[in-house]
Amino acid sequence: MISKRYIFKRLLLLVPVLFGVATLVFSILHLSPGNPATVVAGQQASAEEIRQVEQRLGLNDPVWVQYGRFMLDAVQLNLGESWVIRKGEPVTSVLRWKFPITLELAVLGQIAGIMFGIPIGIVSAIKQDTITDHLSRVGALSGISIPIFWSGPLVILLFSVSLGWFPTSGRLTQRAYEGGAPQTTGALLVDSLLEGNIIMFIDAAWHLFLPAMVIGIYSMALISRMMRSSMLEVVRQDYIRTAHAKGQGRKITLLKHGLRNALIPVVTVIGIQFGSLLGGAVLTETVFNIRGIGMLLVDAITDGDYPIIQGTVLLFALVFTMVNLIVDLTYSYLDPRIEQ
Amino acid sequence: MSTETATPEREERGFVDRLRASPFLTELLSNRLAIFGLSLILLITVMGVGTRLAVFVGVLDFGQLLDTQFAQQQYYPPCGDATLTGWLSSLGSCQHFFGTDAQRRDVFLRTMYGAWLALKYGTVTVAASTVLGVGLGTVAAYYGGWIDNVIMRTMDVLLSFPSLLLALAVVAVFGTGLWKAVFALTLVYTPRFARVVRGAALKVLEDEYVEATVALGARDWRVIVRHVLPNSLAPITVQSTLNFGLAIIDLAALSFLGFGATAGTPSWGWMLTKGVENGLINGLWWMSFFPGLFLALTVLGFNLLGDGMRDALDPRMQDAVD
Repeated sequence: MISKRYIFKRLLLLVPVLFGVATLVFSILHLSPGNPATVVAGQQASAEEIRQVEQRLGLNDPVWVQYGRFMLDAVQLNLGESWVIRKGEPVTSVLRWKFPITLELAVLGQIAGIMFGIPIGIVSAIKQDTITDHLSRVGALSGISIPIFWSGPLVILLFSVSLGWFPTSGRLTQRAYEGGAPQTTGALLVDSLLEGNIIMFIDAAWHLFLPAMVIGIYSMALISRMMRSSMLEVVRQDYIRTAHAKGQGRKITLLKHGLRNALIPVVTVIGIQFGSLLGGAVLTETVFNIRGIGMLLVDAITDGDYPIIQGTVLLFALVFTMVNLIVDLTYSYLDPRIEQ
Repeated sequence: MSTETATPEREERGFVDRLRASPFLTELLSNRLAIFGLSLILLITVMGVGTRLAVFVGVLDFGQLLDTQFAQQQYYPPCGDATLTGWLSSLGSCQHFFGTDAQRRDVFLRTMYGAWLALKYGTVTVAASTVLGVGLGTVAAYYGGWIDNVIMRTMDVLLSFPSLLLALAVVAVFGTGLWKAVFALTLVYTPRFARVVRGAALKVLEDEYVEATVALGARDWRVIVRHVLPNSLAPITVQSTLNFGLAIIDLAALSFLGFGATAGTPSWGWMLTKGVENGLINGLWWMSFFPGLFLALTVLGFNLLGDGMRDALDPRMQDAVD
């Protein structure tokens, strides 16, 4: 069991980190050159208009007042309004609809990674130092080494353009949008199921397949690597030898006793790299033209939409930190020795 | 001192002998995958440095690599043949080995030069974050207390962003360009080094001989430079190698998103972007395929080597490396 004290301690440690994260996000706007008011008011704005915008955004207040206001607002989930991309719309509502798109992609990629990574890692460990092992290890390292923005376009060229099996980009076929895309959660697969629209579900899955695979390769590589080394570690333990000595076959021993214990560190890897999976989603979205939070950030940087940049970065950091916390807690639940 | 009689004999052992005796190197050199990785890196280095030298000496015209005067869509496929079989069959008599891009610039030469750029910017990124990380990590470990707390909590904050995201945030503040991308990534990687070095340094500081040195009156910097740093060298090297691959891929990623290299630069990331934009979908695969291939091979080389190094590392230090 995981002690309440440990959870409390971990949550307490989170406070200064989140404080630092928010401070860093605040400084994104205030360190950048140029007057934000001109971005908001537009290039042709008169000095008077710019002054009004400055007034409205409170840009004339001392920095510490602005800092205090930002922190108070952030705690209440008020991240301001978009300046350019969705002018006037609250950042939180923009993120509310963009995040599920990215999350859906990342989760599918993660599932693909787990589905392939774990079996490959196990086989690699069982057949240690054979050609199968070498191939899967090089394969795993290649998966980490091949940039998404190279494999993505190549995959599109092969499967979409040449073979025509999958669409080249986007989230739905134009026709499927008739009657409007569902807006319950924002994740198409979930929404279409909730509406009972099987056609749309299939269409969305068809569009998501390649991007999820491309992201999945990366996570597969990390998972299979960890699975292999963790499995090899477990094999050396006494209880495996005991089971083996009882006359149980090697493979059964490994799968029955070894796997359960070997999975513990793999769980952490799955969790830890979920953050980088979200980061990888930025690239994948750009390659496949999926208008999720990654493309939103890239557009916001290009257009100088600072509230959106701040909101996106803050959201990513929050999710990343939370996932890491959950991973740590899961880990100490699975292996209570870790608490010390 | 009584040990003095033994030292001359030790001194005579050459550098090579000492290297050969190191369990780290023995283990590493017996790892075939790591050797393969090292060979890849050497190959890319020779390629990059060779091309740079050729430009420097004047054998190769740098203008030819950057030339933008053919602004209209005018390109040649590799060896004049866009199909793979055609390319393979005409390898012997070939004008543009990897074809040309939409501006009729030779993709082969640009890819070769890209190796130089990747190594150059990668080296600066890794060197800068190593130096910064080593400095911060050692100071944190050595002095402990509030200094340790301030440094490491700051590092924690930086580590709570997915790396590419933090780099993008920095780019949003300071603007785009390759050197700014280098700066952004330095900021992203420094905490990892600080963490590794702090972990390794703490282990070294536990050792009795360090305590003895301190007891003998050695100054802080002497303990750090003579004992802590040399003994943390292995994990630092591993971390640097692994991050080298990451740095090259992340620099290319920033270029791909439009925040790194600028128009005309023969960097792999930029060539990839332009190659995809200008024709991959229309079947003009060579413009982006070759830069991407070399990018992937370079990163693979560093990952193979780094992985082998981590396996060869003293188990006591293994925990320190991510």
